[in-house]
Amino acid sequence: MEEKVLEIVNQIRKNNNLDGLSNLNKTDNLRDDLGFTSFDLAELTVKIEDVYNIDIFEDGLVNTVGEIFQKLS
Amino acid sequence: MLFLVDQNKSYTYNNLLDDVNKETFYYPYFRTYNIYSFFKNFIIALTRNLPIVLIDEDIKSSQLSIDETLINQTKEISSASFESIYSLIDNVFNSNSDIIIYTSGTTGQPKKVVHKLSSLARSVRNGDRYNNQVWGFAYNPTHMAGTQVFLQAFRNKNTLINIFKLSRKDIYDAIKNYQITHISATSTYYRLLLPFENKFPSITRVTFGGEKSDVKLHQTIASIFPNAKINNIYASTEAGTIFASKGEYFYIPNNIKEKVKIKDDEILLHKSLLGKTDNIKVDEDFYHTGDLIEWLDEEKYLFKFNGRKNELINVGGYKVNPSEVEDALSTIPQIKQSVVYGKSNSVLGTILCADIVLINPIPENEIRMELNKMLQNYKIPRRFKFVEKLELTRTGKAKRL
Repeated sequence: MEEKVLEIVNQIRKNNNLDGLSNLNKTDNLRDDLGFTSFDLAELTVKIEDVYNIDIFEDGLVNTVGEIFQKLS
Repeated sequence: MLFLVDQNKSYTYNNLLDDVNKETFYYPYFRTYNIYSFFKNFIIALTRNLPIVLIDEDIKSSQLSIDETLINQTKEISSASFESIYSLIDNVFNSNSDIIIYTSGTTGQPKKVVHKLSSLARSVRNGDRYNNQVWGFAYNPTHMAGTQVFLQAFRNKNTLINIFKLSRKDIYDAIKNYQITHISATSTYYRLLLPFENKFPSITRVTFGGEKSDVKLHQTIASIFPNAKINNIYASTEAGTIFASKGEYFYIPNNIKEKVKIKDDEILLHKSLLGKTDNIKVDEDFYHTGDLIEWLDEEKYLFKFNGRKNELINVGGYKVNPSEVEDALSTIPQIKQSVVYGKSNSVLGTILCADIVLINPIPENEIRMELNKMLQNYKIPRRFKFVEKLELTRTGKAKRL
């Protein structure tokens, strides 16, 4: 699951002309460390929902990669 | 007194006064990422009664049908000699400049609306009770909502703190460090502040604008800002600010009652409320806004918004016309046909999606790169689905889901 999330994150980064990441840390902040805007976060929710059928932001925003893993586990 | 703080740089009202007085040129068509330069140039144009075109920092001139050579070209002006910031402010609010604002493109191409300061400042309030407010500036300064916040703050010599496009942590730091008292922003912006973690007591007023807002979001924002009164604003590029809400319900203010009609649940505005434009269709002197309402109490002029009549998609407070995006997609040779639509999303309210029928293969990121050359970022779909054929309606039109 963590690899799949990394793949999705990298797809979004690539679309923004950012370099791909080799790994994700649980403490990575989606906005500060991954550089995501609200449009990117929206794309992330949709891409994750397509795979896992879970809206990770349903109860308000999550801030870190670790929180996403938690929602999906 | 501080005028503006942007990325840790501070500008006082005296700095502004000096700069406005001494400048011997301005930019009629100014495209910049620097918000102080933007406001300074705007004020200079207004004080000299010269026309000013408000241009997004990321828009291409071809999208606005403006000759690229005009952008950031200077024009000579005479210096000024305002003695105090108060005489500067008074002068600005008596300006006769044409202020040109572009809509986000309801007819495929952004359309130009020419305003005077009097229509932009229609809802600006001033007086002692508006002194000492500190505004979190959370809009694009070139858009109608941004000019409204700027004018309200500037009229009362308030401080503006630029918090547009900041991260959640930086927004909260700015609220705390500068003791921000007022924020006006879209629902999408407020959603970025969630979930509730700490209370910020300095905020006394929170204004939602640009989108239909949701009750759950209001409740959480109310707990983050326990001392804040919350209201909604209805404004448009064509008309400026028209209505404000009390709680969930909007009311039609007394002074414009004669100029607002409701027909088949749609809001119609009298042409005297609008800026000048060649492209707005007016029917017996009234403009059809496309915004639909539901009455709570017709005699008290109380109502709530119920979505839109036309097909504009509201993506995080930005209005996108799907036809414009489809037209851009159709210029990519590998694409045979496409349909662009909105899908409900917990972050942006609605996310822009495209279903595409290909003639020849092309990867998603190349499509995005092509669109990036033609469209502003918020108009680029964030979800692409490649399909064999599009679902069509009975009239043969591609169906938006």
